[in-house]
Amino acid sequence: MRKFFTLSSLLALSLTACGAGDNGPIKLGMISALTGDAAAIGADQLSGVQMAIAEINAAGGVNGRQIELIAEDGKCAGADGATAAQKLVNVDKVVAIVGGLCSGETLAAAPIAEAAKVIMLSPSASSPDITKAGDFIFRDYPSDAGKTKAIAKYFADEKYSRIAILSENTDYSQALRASLKKDLPEGAVVFDENFDPGTKDFRSLLGRLKDAEYDALVSNPNSDGVNAVIVQQFRELELPGQIVGTDTMDSVVIAQIAGEEADGVMLVNVPTAGEGTSFEADFTAKNGDPKSSIAWAAYSYDAVKVLAQAFKAVGTDGMAVKDYLYSMQPYTGVIGSFHFDGNGDPVGLSYVLKKFDDGKVVTVKPLPLE
Amino acid sequence: MQLLANALIAGSLAALIAGGLALVYGVLGVFNMALGQLALTGGYIAWWLHQVAHLSLFVSVIGGLISGALMTWLTFEVFVRPFYKHHRFLPLVTTIAWSMILDGLILLVFEERPRSILSGGKSMIPIGSALISKEQCIMIILTIASLLLFAWVFHCTPFGRKLRAVVQHESAARSLGINSAVLHRVIFIVSGVFAAAGGIFIGIDQNLSPTLAFSLTIKAYAAIIAGGKGNIWGAIICAYAIALLEQLLVGIHWFGAFYVPAGYQQTVALLFIIGILLLKPSGLFRSVSRTA
Amino acid sequence: MNFFLHIIVMIATTVPNVLGFNLLFGRGKIFHFGPLGVSIVAAYGIFLVTIATDSFTLGIAAGLLVVSLASAFFAWLSLRLDADGFGVMSIAVHLGLLAVVLNWSSLTRGALGIPRIPRFVFLDSTLDFALFSTVVAAVWSYILWKIDKGPFGRKLIALSEHEWHAKSLGIDRPQVHLIAFLLAGIGALLSNVLYPQYLYLLHPSDYGFPGFVFFVTVVVAGGPGSVRGCLLSLILLSFLREGLRFIPMAPDILGPLRLILFGLILYIAVYCRRDLLFPKQRTV
Repeated sequence: MRKFFTLSSLLALSLTACGAGDNGPIKLGMISALTGDAAAIGADQLSGVQMAIAEINAAGGVNGRQIELIAEDGKCAGADGATAAQKLVNVDKVVAIVGGLCSGETLAAAPIAEAAKVIMLSPSASSPDITKAGDFIFRDYPSDAGKTKAIAKYFADEKYSRIAILSENTDYSQALRASLKKDLPEGAVVFDENFDPGTKDFRSLLGRLKDAEYDALVSNPNSDGVNAVIVQQFRELELPGQIVGTDTMDSVVIAQIAGEEADGVMLVNVPTAGEGTSFEADFTAKNGDPKSSIAWAAYSYDAVKVLAQAFKAVGTDGMAVKDYLYSMQPYTGVIGSFHFDGNGDPVGLSYVLKKFDDGKVVTVKPLPLE
Repeated sequence: MQLLANALIAGSLAALIAGGLALVYGVLGVFNMALGQLALTGGYIAWWLHQVAHLSLFVSVIGGLISGALMTWLTFEVFVRPFYKHHRFLPLVTTIAWSMILDGLILLVFEERPRSILSGGKSMIPIGSALISKEQCIMIILTIASLLLFAWVFHCTPFGRKLRAVVQHESAARSLGINSAVLHRVIFIVSGVFAAAGGIFIGIDQNLSPTLAFSLTIKAYAAIIAGGKGNIWGAIICAYAIALLEQLLVGIHWFGAFYVPAGYQQTVALLFIIGILLLKPSGLFRSVSRTA
Repeated sequence: MNFFLHIIVMIATTVPNVLGFNLLFGRGKIFHFGPLGVSIVAAYGIFLVTIATDSFTLGIAAGLLVVSLASAFFAWLSLRLDADGFGVMSIAVHLGLLAVVLNWSSLTRGALGIPRIPRFVFLDSTLDFALFSTVVAAVWSYILWKIDKGPFGRKLIALSEHEWHAKSLGIDRPQVHLIAFLLAGIGALLSNVLYPQYLYLLHPSDYGFPGFVFFVTVVVAGGPGSVRGCLLSLILLSFLREGLRFIPMAPDILGPLRLILFGLILYIAVYCRRDLLFPKQRTV
């Protein structure tokens, strides 16, 4: 497969060398973390994007034009995000960028895309700062605000009034934590700790939790690997109460690692990010098991499809695509139905409560937001 | 009580990696910044043997240790031996280079997703008020036993005397017929086996991911520097002390008034060395060595 | 063209910091592993004050103050400890400072970083930035080159070669160390007053250990101590690093390959420079 991509990108390169007019391929850029701490997520995003493009191209492309992908490594760092954006915008002259993965690289890349009137559509940046990053900056990743309202609703339904939060010290987890604390009632948070990125020993921290009076623990790390360790050590210490996770908990890896200990863990996420659908089957057939979670592939896949829909309707001019995206009818993709609000954040995604049951993630009930 | 158990678990891991390294540092005086990556390699290979090749756990662990030894040998021959006689700080830079190469290789071969050697739940044994799993008990006991054996060999046997002779005065030891070149190699490989054991420990107790390496390396060096150059006991004690400190730091309600934010957990342990080194610049347990 | 200018900016904003580090590590053989720790202090010092008071003058003054303090602290540590101890200690201090930035989120916004960093009024386009940062880098290189060739550079070399002999010749080690660390600190200040402005973003992820490894690679490959060599290697390595983006290859293989390639470059550089990096100590 990899050889195929190498070949195809070589081919694409030689094609572009022949000069691309309005009939040449549409160049779509991508910024993701292909190395570094978040590389597992980056790999899944890349696969999702490649899958969407392969499908579009196989179906004849957008108005007869093929889509060509140029993926750049932003390493989840500001400097590399900016360099990647500079290259995509000024060298490759892409018409839009899918990315970046982390909020840091997205925020550094955003001014460059904004200045060049190139659309950026991030499939995973969650920071509240993205909202104000610019007119050309969109995301199809649910903003923390909706997700944490759903969590708060779940807690209210279950009468969990004393909440413990355990967050990794990364931009993703911290943004979620801040949003969650805003949505929970006054005084509900009885335990609120951050840990160093990559920590894998939580025994003492969880031991302290034993003494705290709490009903539910929100496990809020940046990756499923750390979530697995938290679940394992939580169970090892025989702590009472409910573990609740979000996106990073929605991963089969946790069940593989923690086994039956994962059973009973709850999580709040969008209804489906592709699990159990034909999307997942196609993905697995092409790429094998996702490295982190199918969800990252799904958000990226939808991002490409939304952009392709926009290109089809209004062409590839940045201004036109921007206006189209702001006024777009709800788009139904793998992750659900959504459209963009005036800040480029997705609206319309609903949330459900899911649960680990016998090594699988099953949906328990929807969590409708008023 | 649970805190002590936690410290024992974390400390055993740190001591395992630091113990072998202390010897390398004491004898050769070189830093091996690729140590964390070597530990991960051992852990990953054990994972591969157990979870992918479906060998028994025992065979996998042995395989992991052997591969750790081989990798360390390679490290020694390519990245250390051509340099360390020249200046003992050169391997520091070459092993940084090696750690980058290994990082890349681990990403290519084992990929980014978390790997756990033993999956599923662990049966917990209550000891006093603490809960500890069977696997953890075994690992703690094995660690302490092997470290004790190691220290005993170093301090109480003729072979250990040779080692110490090389530590104290290399050319004098050579003139007494000790083959120091071979000893250097052996010592280096031993440290690699200990590191690989540490990697397997992580793979069993938690899970492996490619970005763990750096903090492993730093903690091991923290223990060694704080323990005093070339003093294995000192390094082992300091490794446990740092682990205990890390656990106490976040686990105790200090003065009944506040908790230290957990984000500082690892840093404060490192700053602990700073305190020690500033008070005693040559380390907590200075080795008493004769000067010629 | 803009991409080229961008690379120029990235190089020019790194020059002061790398040259300062070169003075310490390459010339002075001081085992300083925490140059990015000073950079964190510089960047957050400057921009927290700048944003709070809306004045770059105050921000830079504050930056100068905290950088001097941090540099003096490192200098004091380097005098108090032996080389090995200082090496590990400086990593610890670097990581400690990073942890403070991450955890003191009420002040620094922690892991979220500070977006919308203001720019100097005369810096607008990438071209402005490239010109200005190149001028700063050139002036700073010239100053350091002068210092390096002058009596101070010789003192530093003498100390690195034989501390006691240098001392007996009347070289004041604490003073020389303090000045060297302060110079490196000012380099960090110059780099970090420009760099976050350019990105419009101050983010802790830009100050991790991998950045330091790049510094070491540059200094070692350029010929430790040589200002000219360091500049040359910085330019070449930066172009190489970004030039790799143009290799048509599956991106998920390219990332690890880049790590491996830079590892090899560092290794080969050390192999070729082993006499310069740490000269064999003469035995009596």
